[in-house]
Amino acid sequence: MTNWLASINYITGKVGGIRKLILILMAALLGVTILLDVLVVEKIFDPLGYLYIALGTLAVLYGIYPLYTSRRLVGYYWERASQNRLAVAGLAFILFLILLALIGPFFTTDPTATNFEEKNIPPLGFTIEESVYHPETQQSISKTITGSGKHPLGTDNKGRDLLAMIVSGARISLQVGLLATGIAVALGTLIGVTSAYLGGKIDNILMRFTDIMMTFPFFLLLVFIVFIFGPNLAFIVLVIGLTGWTGTARLVRSETLSLRTREFIMAAKALGASDSRIILAHLVPNVISLIIVIATLSIPGVILAEAGLSFIGLGDPSVTSWGMVLRAGQQNLDTAWWVAVAPGVMLFLTVLAFNFMGDGLRDAFDPRSAV
Amino acid sequence: MLDHKLLEVHNLKKYYPVTGGLFSQHLGDVRAVDDVSFDIKEGEALGLVGESGCGKSTLGRTILRLEEPTEGQIIYRKTDITRLNQRELRGLRQEMQMIFQDPQSFLDPRMTVGQSIGEALLIHGVRDDKEREQRVIEILERVGLEGQQGLRYPHEFSSGQRQRIGIGRALILNPKLIIADEPVSALDVSIQAQILNLMLDLREEFGLTYLFIAHDLSVIKYVSQRVAVMYLGKIVELASRDEIFQNTRHPYTEALLSAIPGITQKKKTRIILPGSVPSPINPPAGCRFHTRCHRVLPLCHQEEPNLRDIGNEHLVACHLYRG
Repeated sequence: MTNWLASINYITGKVGGIRKLILILMAALLGVTILLDVLVVEKIFDPLGYLYIALGTLAVLYGIYPLYTSRRLVGYYWERASQNRLAVAGLAFILFLILLALIGPFFTTDPTATNFEEKNIPPLGFTIEESVYHPETQQSISKTITGSGKHPLGTDNKGRDLLAMIVSGARISLQVGLLATGIAVALGTLIGVTSAYLGGKIDNILMRFTDIMMTFPFFLLLVFIVFIFGPNLAFIVLVIGLTGWTGTARLVRSETLSLRTREFIMAAKALGASDSRIILAHLVPNVISLIIVIATLSIPGVILAEAGLSFIGLGDPSVTSWGMVLRAGQQNLDTAWWVAVAPGVMLFLTVLAFNFMGDGLRDAFDPRSAV
Repeated sequence: MLDHKLLEVHNLKKYYPVTGGLFSQHLGDVRAVDDVSFDIKEGEALGLVGESGCGKSTLGRTILRLEEPTEGQIIYRKTDITRLNQRELRGLRQEMQMIFQDPQSFLDPRMTVGQSIGEALLIHGVRDDKEREQRVIEILERVGLEGQQGLRYPHEFSSGQRQRIGIGRALILNPKLIIADEPVSALDVSIQAQILNLMLDLREEFGLTYLFIAHDLSVIKYVSQRVAVMYLGKIVELASRDEIFQNTRHPYTEALLSAIPGITQKKKTRIILPGSVPSPINPPAGCRFHTRCHRVLPLCHQEEPNLRDIGNEHLVACHLYRG
């Protein structure tokens, strides 16, 4: 038993801490599963599932664990951020949205189930007059439809439950927003910090590469990818993530440039710290506040991009997203206004919530706004 | 024992290239450290003094290989460390440590003080959390803080306390050589004395060797046994403390010493140096000090004087003392 513990201790020492050990183990595990997936032709997870597991592990090890170890610092920032009421409201809405996405689907019906008997029902508390063509008398007669509790937000022209669609859309939007932003911000941070810290030729190469990526029309690339590989949500997330890091890289780089001349970086070098240690243990934690703000403020852009893609009909047809509902609704705006309004309002509120929270965080992290 | 050389520096140069123009042409060099040679004996404290911008901090950093030397040799305990790569250097870092100048910036603001000090141990293979914690507490108490304070962040300490933390971090690896880069110049005078006394106590306790960089001559006089005076990237005078202060030879050192405000002397003739330090990109021909020297000779304009021993291990680079 002690032997066993000692060998674990030894390995942990070799790789540099229990956190890295878990990370390496998770990476190996994921690698093996992907291999099994590809070679044995058995669908274990879909591509999005892999992204979830990878980013989830990273978030716990390098996001939540450090937050926990520096509770006092986090408490201090919370105290400052909570003075901004809009930011707190934004946070509340985002938490509500997450809850909706996580447990909502268990309480709603299947968002794709059609029922033409119950089409175009208005939301609860609304009544509309609809003219219905009567085949026997060959006349249009006026009919009153009242919203009911069975479909609190009404139905669309195929009789699909709007509430179920909104809940499903929340899930898709958050998935796309968080995953794509996670990829983009992680990439941008690594590239920005490395570029600034190593400097010289490497800096030049990385920054020119960033410039090229910036000029790349990413929406066109998305359309192109969708055209070739078919509309798959995982591809959309990957493309947005792999092209969206440029702004982050530049902001992080300029922040790091001023950090790397600070004496504590030289002090770490004098202690014998390796470059990777300086980057991961000193530089990244010191730009983390900037990264959190960038991430929060770029999530709405990503959500809107996905909605836009679905709106023009290039979204993943197997999932119900807000953009898709919006598209369905705007074609019947004259007969069923609520179908377009509901996802529109949700998009509006979500984007607003993330922006408010981002602004609040930025102010909280900025020492100049300290009283 | 005392004559054993711990560190030898031979003809060390550190040039920073100046580039400009459309294709980043090489326009010249900032000669921050230009042909400097000296050695430090084990257990000794060598003071390095000079004006701001004379290259003394660069010299200290280059010796620790925090800056890459342009030319010359750094020999630590008979090993040439000038060309070692970063991996090979890591082992030596345990033995050579640095104390920094600016207490506001040499600690990572996102780490607790305990983590900052413990990092040194972590890098050098102490993986056990308990052992690290124990040693951090010990060193904190040794430099006059409480072990409990290791859980706090740097902004919760005063400058003097932070300088104590910096000393603790440098000492936790049990080094032999400490390069102290203006460790007290950012502190109040009352705190300066505390920190200097702490450094002197620790020197005896741990058997340390100091290279003490400062611009304040009274600080240098208090801590060092030998003193080197630097001007514009070169050492102009190097001798034991008593020689330097009582038997001053170089006109620049004379001028520096005359600027110390005293309360015992009734009347002191101050030597005022005209002009300011010339640019290290384009140092004056001949003796670098001739543009401001009050005892300048015609020879000084043409020929650069070498550092030579004028007896009693007193080295001076000046044409006035040509044998």
